[in-house]
Amino acid sequence: MRMLSEKSLPINSLAEHFDMSRPAVSKHIKIMYNAGFISIEDIGRERYCTLKKDGFDELQKWINYFDNFWKTKLKDLETLLNNKIKKS
Amino acid sequence: MKKSIIHKVFYAHAPEIVWDYLTKAELMEQWLMKSNFELKLGHDFQFATGPVPSLDFDGIVYCKVLEIEPLKKLTYSWKCGPGNGQITIDSIVTWTLEAKDNGTEVLLVNDGFKEANFNLVIFNAMNQGWLANMNKINKILNEKENGSTSA
Repeated sequence: MRMLSEKSLPINSLAEHFDMSRPAVSKHIKIMYNAGFISIEDIGRERYCTLKKDGFDELQKWINYFDNFWKTKLKDLETLLNNKIKKS
Repeated sequence: MKKSIIHKVFYAHAPEIVWDYLTKAELMEQWLMKSNFELKLGHDFQFATGPVPSLDFDGIVYCKVLEIEPLKKLTYSWKCGPGNGQITIDSIVTWTLEAKDNGTEVLLVNDGFKEANFNLVIFNAMNQGWLANMNKINKILNEKENGSTSA
């Protein structure tokens, strides 16, 4: 996956980097493909693997969500505290 | 990419009051969320809010009290996921209170966001891979056994 983080690579050249058989590499790629980590595209005679960045953007979505969440909640706390004091 | 959430707010109220609203479940519920929080080191608790489908978030936040410094600092873990206790996001929430002349300055930091998802999905994928292989082995062994007994 680290190799794919830089650029898309054909399965064959990926396989050269691993001390395992080509079918074994294919099997690993299939697992990562099924898990949604990589996409596979046929270009010419080669099958290219590309790392999907969705998983990383997902983290950013959470951070943005909680950023707004806290902003709203802190404002709510302020309103609550101010109302409380006025009443008492 | 933004990795930490930081908000600094001034409240025109004494630290004792603000601290109560940060550490008493019945008061927290009024502005934050319903929870079974207790001001005890190591206490596991959950916040409950509405689900957020776009994030695949079931609305339950799993937390553990990590640090207590009365009237000054409170830290808890902050973990969320799609349901059934599964965690996809892992982070830390830290509250720091500072007494000022006519109120309290509150610093909220929500950081340490970890891609729990990343490792979990890899783990699941690998796990399923192994499971499939073991099922295959099991099947082969069974067939072999059945074959030999029927022979």
